[in-house]
Amino acid sequence: MRYYFLNQDMKEFSLDVEIQPGKVMEFTHEGAKTKLFLKSLAGKNYYSFDGVAWKKLAALGVNEVLVSNSEVYKVYRGFKPSGLNKGGAGALVTQMPGKIVKIMKKEGDKVSKGETVLILEAMKMENEIKSGADGTVKSVNVKEGQALEAGFLMVEIEE
Amino acid sequence: MKGKRVLIINRGEIAIRVAKALNELGLVSVGVWTDNETEPPHLEFCQEWVRLAGSNNKETYLDIPKIMKLIDDYKIDGVHPGYGFLSENREFSEALAKKGITFIGPNPTAVYKMGAKDISKQVAKEAGVPVVPGSVGEVPTVDEAVKLGNEMGYPILLKAVAGGGGKGMRPCYSEEDVKNNFAAVQREALSSFGYAGLLVEKYILNPHHIEVQILADKKGNVYHVFERECSVQRRHQKIIEEAPSPFIGNDEALRKSICETAVKCARAVNYDSAGTVEFIMGEDKKFYFLEMNTRIQVEHPITEEITGVDLVANMIKAAFGEELDFKSQEDIKIQGHAIELRICAEDPISMLPAPGKIVGFETTFPQGIRFDHCIYPKFTITPDFDPMIGKLIARGFNRDVALRKVRNAVDGLIIDGIKTNIALHKVILDEDHFRKGNYSTNYIGTVKPQEKVAHKEDIKSFMLKVAAIELNQMGGKV
Repeated sequence: MRYYFLNQDMKEFSLDVEIQPGKVMEFTHEGAKTKLFLKSLAGKNYYSFDGVAWKKLAALGVNEVLVSNSEVYKVYRGFKPSGLNKGGAGALVTQMPGKIVKIMKKEGDKVSKGETVLILEAMKMENEIKSGADGTVKSVNVKEGQALEAGFLMVEIEE
Repeated sequence: MKGKRVLIINRGEIAIRVAKALNELGLVSVGVWTDNETEPPHLEFCQEWVRLAGSNNKETYLDIPKIMKLIDDYKIDGVHPGYGFLSENREFSEALAKKGITFIGPNPTAVYKMGAKDISKQVAKEAGVPVVPGSVGEVPTVDEAVKLGNEMGYPILLKAVAGGGGKGMRPCYSEEDVKNNFAAVQREALSSFGYAGLLVEKYILNPHHIEVQILADKKGNVYHVFERECSVQRRHQKIIEEAPSPFIGNDEALRKSICETAVKCARAVNYDSAGTVEFIMGEDKKFYFLEMNTRIQVEHPITEEITGVDLVANMIKAAFGEELDFKSQEDIKIQGHAIELRICAEDPISMLPAPGKIVGFETTFPQGIRFDHCIYPKFTITPDFDPMIGKLIARGFNRDVALRKVRNAVDGLIIDGIKTNIALHKVILDEDHFRKGNYSTNYIGTVKPQEKVAHKEDIKSFMLKVAAIELNQMGGKV
């Protein structure tokens, strides 16, 4: 089974897993093979890389998202999605759910890179959302006071 | 006091902590459930709960008339506000006093005098306590803030009169900065505390944040429960606290001096509950009064751990006019050292809030760990609330032992599905300055431990996660 991991910047890597007899999983990553031994004891799962030293395996609830420190991956088990591409520097997209406090620019306004375009409140903090590029505001897709989910395209700036 | 019905106007880990103390003392803990929380974990610990209708904090935890109605309808005798929300709101404590409802916190005059930072500074000054230079009273306009900044010299700090917990507070390094930030801090103050008033003060460089826990009763007894050091901060919010302070160390004269100064502050307002006097200490060990928090604080557990004093239970006893668990200042002694890590739903590198849904939660802790939290699998962390979801606390015979225990504990804390600052805590606990106790509030900004956090874990950790997913496919076991 091939796993594809796609991070927030749409960078991907893959990891192959093959379940072998004797409660062993064999992983292949960039050509290198790693064996993982597994055991279930008293309702908990344990793992070992050498079959001698064992540690508890943390249980995961869902399979779609995987968080590793600062990276959030979408997990695709056995298939790779198509048609995914990343917006440019002028696409201001919410990184987390929040509420629009103030909009400083309107359609047709000129903006320069680093200039504040709007203020988004998330978790009681006001965040200044700045333009990633020099250009003209092509569209403003939000209103003041509007609550947004993560991944919403708030403003588009044409370079 | 037994059998009295106490409404907890809070949520998360502090609602759980308060409910436990109420239950233990034989009172009836009554929790609240608002419409923007699905399955709030604190309700499990309350003996009863009532619905607090409304879908944002203004309509729920900050809505005084609505809360007063619940108090009437459900025959409530007392209220515990926890921290944040209405814990330091004069209007609320006065409304309760008028109705004869016990507010588990200080008397309204103390809330008024210490709750508002401009007045508290004046009170401290009059009591002979040194204060940081700053505005006398509220600064109503951006022009006046700029004028003060130019007089005192930059950097200056803009802070909410009603603020706390680092919200509604921003340093400004120039006139330009003040102009850019004034309105934003006002808005933050209004949305977090319901009041937009701002203060201006001198910003001291490389300071230590040291605070003294106060516990007082209604008979005029005021005790200190020693100090805490809370200098590891990001965006002026604490993330690691320890007690006693490593900066004060073995300097018992300094410890005595700061603790007695705190008692003096508390006495000046006839303080009669648990509270905290916060000081800023420069590298020369001179300290200045910063503010007094007239509520239980997030980091109270480390004080409980090193002294054995149950602050929440004693706070409740004090409010109902009962005697505290001890008779004199000499009864309270420091034994060992305690460290607390705030576990937050945030990116470990950018330290920005990262709400989401917890999918996996496991703990494997060494002996002697306390974990005050509101985490369970499927718990959704929404952007409406503070990102702190738990506090990992270790007590040890000395600082080295506490460090060893908390370092081991954080390895055994697994929260899956959301970003957390666990990886950052690991880096800090392994970092030299922190290990030696050699850090100021500029620690995060200058040592930058966040830059040593790997963006992602090594490939083996991905293999383990894939193994867990594969095991799920197989029904949970091999």
